[in-house]
Amino acid sequence: MNLMANILLNVIIAFLVGSLLFGYQRKIMARIQTRPGPPIIQHLLHTLKFYIKESTFPKTAAMPFYVAIASMLCAIWVSAVIVGPVIEGSLLLIFAIYALHKIVEHNAGSSSGSPYGKLSCVRAVFSAAAEVPLFAVLVIIYLKTGTMVIGEIINYQTINGPLIYAIPLAAAMFFVLILSKAPYSPFAITKGKDIISGYETEHFGVLRGYLMISESIAWYMLLWVFLTVFIGGLSPIGYLIGMVAISTVVAFINATTPILNPNHSIMMQVTFAFIGIVGSIILILI
Amino acid sequence: MDIATISGQLLGTIPLGDIVPYITPFNLFMFAGALTFTLLIAISRTETQVEAGFGSLKDREVKVGIKEFRIRRFLAIICGLATAGAMITGDLFNFTLFVALIGIVNIGIVSAVKQIDVLDAAFQYGLIAMMASLPLFGGAALVLASTGTLSLFQLSQATFTPVMVTFASVLLILGVAGETGVAPFYATKAEMFRTPGSPFILIIHLSSLLVIVRTIEILLIINKPF
Repeated sequence: MNLMANILLNVIIAFLVGSLLFGYQRKIMARIQTRPGPPIIQHLLHTLKFYIKESTFPKTAAMPFYVAIASMLCAIWVSAVIVGPVIEGSLLLIFAIYALHKIVEHNAGSSSGSPYGKLSCVRAVFSAAAEVPLFAVLVIIYLKTGTMVIGEIINYQTINGPLIYAIPLAAAMFFVLILSKAPYSPFAITKGKDIISGYETEHFGVLRGYLMISESIAWYMLLWVFLTVFIGGLSPIGYLIGMVAISTVVAFINATTPILNPNHSIMMQVTFAFIGIVGSIILILI
Repeated sequence: MDIATISGQLLGTIPLGDIVPYITPFNLFMFAGALTFTLLIAISRTETQVEAGFGSLKDREVKVGIKEFRIRRFLAIICGLATAGAMITGDLFNFTLFVALIGIVNIGIVSAVKQIDVLDAAFQYGLIAMMASLPLFGGAALVLASTGTLSLFQLSQATFTPVMVTFASVLLILGVAGETGVAPFYATKAEMFRTPGSPFILIIHLSSLLVIVRTIEILLIINKPF
């Protein structure tokens, strides 16, 4: 397939599947809490709705930084789709993209001048301190497989079996990272309801649309990376089943767990990271 | 070739004596990302932070003054360029120099702010960054002493890792952790981000995270676990 067509197709799939999985998560959470919940396509409709709404900009915002940062978030996650499903490039590059995502999340909040955005910005900096150690999972994968290239990791698993059996603690660490990116999760401190919508509070119209598209693609990509590096290359149906299964587990956790205080959230993530790193190295050595 | 298995396909090299800058999608992406953000910082205004006034129902606006704006923007651009340099360099000593420069200008970006809490945080971060410069440069020096080169391209072609390089790697980790203010130092650094001037504090966060990612690549290149 033509490279451009391949990229376009994968980006559209990532956006649609990510949006529907978010809607599915909200449905499951609602059913657990004995509510009917919104339809599964609600998140998708919500995203599209913002493109026909009026775009307004706070007069306190740092222009053009405020506009560019939301647009860049979209570009960053489209790059992740290219590095991941399209060319099966380096996992380290996906880590770099995630690092840029943290920076954009942080500055989308602070650039508006809103105190809610600012609090979300400071929390994003705190959470980076916990999420970056969780990404040590990449080094563990490298120590086990001898490569960071996704295509070669898939080949390794074809010969040696899924990595989830060999380094389960690393898989658990990555799952905690996925959980921290889910809306309503115990670790979602940057978008806690005590600070309205966190860094998105002052983004309206097209800019909010960009942020929501990016979130959907980011969710799809995190699930894709988890399934690919811990289970192996799957068929499209296999990926879909895997993503639905992980989203269901995440929805159960989110529905039954309150959002943690920022300090507790960070300490819990750092604890998971420490146990995961030390445990995985011991598992590799023995 | 370690570089290809860590950073992706090797797109090319620039032979400059024993220093051989190499180009991979990973390095290019990080370099382009750092330059894009630097350009954005150079052309942006700062936000007006709106806070609740104490003892009344009025809002209080916190703005960045023009003199403060100029010096902070200048330092932020230097920091962005140093970050871009740290992403693309193929020489370990140049990398440590760029990281040390990032640490210095990060303190400068925040120390221009007239807020006691922020200045306290910057002071504490400054102490850590100064102490971290010893293991940072010491690590690079030990790599040179034990292998005879600082070129990452040449180090990637080495067949084994001397014990001293492993020790140097530990020093490098300590140095980068202190200079960039990662956990457990990040808790102090986060206080610096309460100040207004969103485009400038972006570069503090950006430089730290990108340097950490690049450090992982460098450590995996100079150490041979297999």
